[in-house]
Amino acid sequence: MSTAEHTPTDSAPDAQKWVDVQNSPDFAQLKHRLRSFVFPVSGLFLAWYLIYVLLADYAHGFMSTKVVGNINVGLILGLLQFVSTFVITTLYVRHANKNLDPLAEKLRHELEGDAS
Amino acid sequence: MNTTIWSLAGIGAVALVTFLLGYVGSRKANTTPDFLVARRSVPATRNAAAISGEYLSAASFLGVAGLVLKDGIDALWYPIGFTAGYLALLLFVAAPLRRSGAYTLPDFAEARLGSTNLRHFCTFFVVCIGVLYLVPQLQSAGLTLTTITGLPSWIGALAVTVIVVVNVLGGGMRAITLVQAFQYWGKLFAIAAPTFVLFVVFLASPSQGTQPIDDNGVMRFPKSEVVEIKESVRLRVTEPMTLRAEGTVDGAPANGSVYWREGRYEIGPNTKLSFTAGSPVPVVDGAPPNNDSWMRPQVGGIWNLFETYSLIFATFLGTMGLPHVLVRFYTNPDGKAARRTALHVLYLLGLFYLFPTVLGVLSRLYLPRLLVNGKTDAAVLMLPEAMVPNLGGQILGAIIAAGAFAAFLSTSSGLVVSVAGVVSTDIMPGKVRDFRWATVFTGMVAIGLALLLPRSDASLTVAMSFALAASTFCPLLVLGIWWRGLTWVGAVCGMIIGGGAVITAYALSVVSSYTGHWAPGVFTQPALITVPIAFLTMIVVSKATRRRRPQDVNQILLRLHAPDPLGFIKDRDIARFGTAEEKARLAESKPRGSTRSL
Repeated sequence: MSTAEHTPTDSAPDAQKWVDVQNSPDFAQLKHRLRSFVFPVSGLFLAWYLIYVLLADYAHGFMSTKVVGNINVGLILGLLQFVSTFVITTLYVRHANKNLDPLAEKLRHELEGDAS
Repeated sequence: MNTTIWSLAGIGAVALVTFLLGYVGSRKANTTPDFLVARRSVPATRNAAAISGEYLSAASFLGVAGLVLKDGIDALWYPIGFTAGYLALLLFVAAPLRRSGAYTLPDFAEARLGSTNLRHFCTFFVVCIGVLYLVPQLQSAGLTLTTITGLPSWIGALAVTVIVVVNVLGGGMRAITLVQAFQYWGKLFAIAAPTFVLFVVFLASPSQGTQPIDDNGVMRFPKSEVVEIKESVRLRVTEPMTLRAEGTVDGAPANGSVYWREGRYEIGPNTKLSFTAGSPVPVVDGAPPNNDSWMRPQVGGIWNLFETYSLIFATFLGTMGLPHVLVRFYTNPDGKAARRTALHVLYLLGLFYLFPTVLGVLSRLYLPRLLVNGKTDAAVLMLPEAMVPNLGGQILGAIIAAGAFAAFLSTSSGLVVSVAGVVSTDIMPGKVRDFRWATVFTGMVAIGLALLLPRSDASLTVAMSFALAASTFCPLLVLGIWWRGLTWVGAVCGMIIGGGAVITAYALSVVSSYTGHWAPGVFTQPALITVPIAFLTMIVVSKATRRRRPQDVNQILLRLHAPDPLGFIKDRDIARFGTAEEKARLAESKPRGSTRSL
């Protein structure tokens, strides 16, 4: 299957509109907000995973420190892996709804006008 | 015998409800978009339940508990990785991908990079991943049926294949969405209810029936036990012991009392081992031999570290490349709903994985014989009867068996739909009839491979398809969405090298499992090496072929990242599959919609 169905209907003013939005400070801001959240957070998250495994491998003493009864530090950190996954996800969804969506909405209105 | 009847009744009920839901849903499904993405009108909560239902496969339902039984704390990486993969999916691809408006991964690849060659490669890998993921589902179905009834395992695999194919033929994706959502709640009940009951039983009588674990943490059989070994295993003995063996040990026939000192023993197929009460439990090679190492993470040194990292990589990055998961994100109405769906999925999965973990720990106390014959995947199925040897246990066992079948059915349906969807739109003309043929074809290939390939732990095989997805589609999606420099040549090279490496590693590990287990762990868990290679190849080759960058790359990226309803190939799909009404609307809004030129 090819995309032959595409009719090249680019009318010049319309294409110009896209370029305008592309260069608008709003779009730059949107990109910035998204990237400055997504990349650091995923870096942190992966690092946290990898450090846990490293600790498990080479810091037996620390990991098997008993906290309460049979529950040791390793077990608690392990459970925190789960918890942190949820926390990050919730944070991201909140961030996206609060900071990203309104801006995207605004851009969309600029692009489409009120016609739609 | 009673257990068999109860369990078969449970399985029958699951199959029947699946059929009925499929039938009800299918009466409305007639056009191609109906079949492929359920017209993008599925609410986020139901979609999340459907994604979870589809995602919780044999590996989750049976495999996680089995690995916890065998490997202890290290096995927890599987559920953590299976869940965390959705976080990566959410952060990097969920919303932009949904905005792209593509139906399938190949659609996305072609729209982003404008190359039909790339599209064909994507199709190939979608089929590979899908089939590789289907195989353990079918094999586990066989194992379940064998455990319950003693019937040969191909019957279970065949039954699942037939039910899935018939159901998909009847209604495609819309039916499947409903079925999947039902399946999630069904599976959750099927694993949660028995877990609660068994846990209470355990609390009420902690020592009854369990083997005493002595001060050194060595596990011992609580009473004399006969273990039948059907497929050959390698056992590790850490304490000298005497037992009776009938069959083959270390290649020589054995019949009678034998003395085993510390070391490794190769047990041939169809061997009976009789242990006396109090004798230590030998475990399959590679599993931690005593309770201390079972409780402690990471005892295998640097290789174990490598394998764990590799597994984290594969599951974390592979989820976003699983075709049956992605296709479901296209059914969200917009990017925001796609995000909400991913969040719900995380909650639902996290909730689910609590239960197999608990069951795995319990089965360590009650089912040491599974450590001897290596069929730890059957732990969840056998635990109720081992703990509650009466009618109650049989009913619990039946509930679990039904849930396991629900797991095979839902995951297999999702896989068949997405593989058949890709095959029918890319290799065939994309009509409803082609979709049906593609479904039958996919089912046949999967069942063939399931019968041919050796059975290993479901979670391990599934991890392999995660590795394949992580080494092919993950770099394509991440770079395609976030880096404007990607070219189709770079994407193709990266996918061939990354995917090729994983497939080679898998082939070698299959060969090695037939010829004496010589392959090191790298071959079963290659993601840590192959994923960076795939990323690097894509980046380097893309830089070298800079001239091939699509001309309208800025525009495409804008559409991926900015406003929601401007999907850049949505209109093409309406032109191809849409109803008359939709086409009229498209014609009206032409100037805004199809600005993309090739």
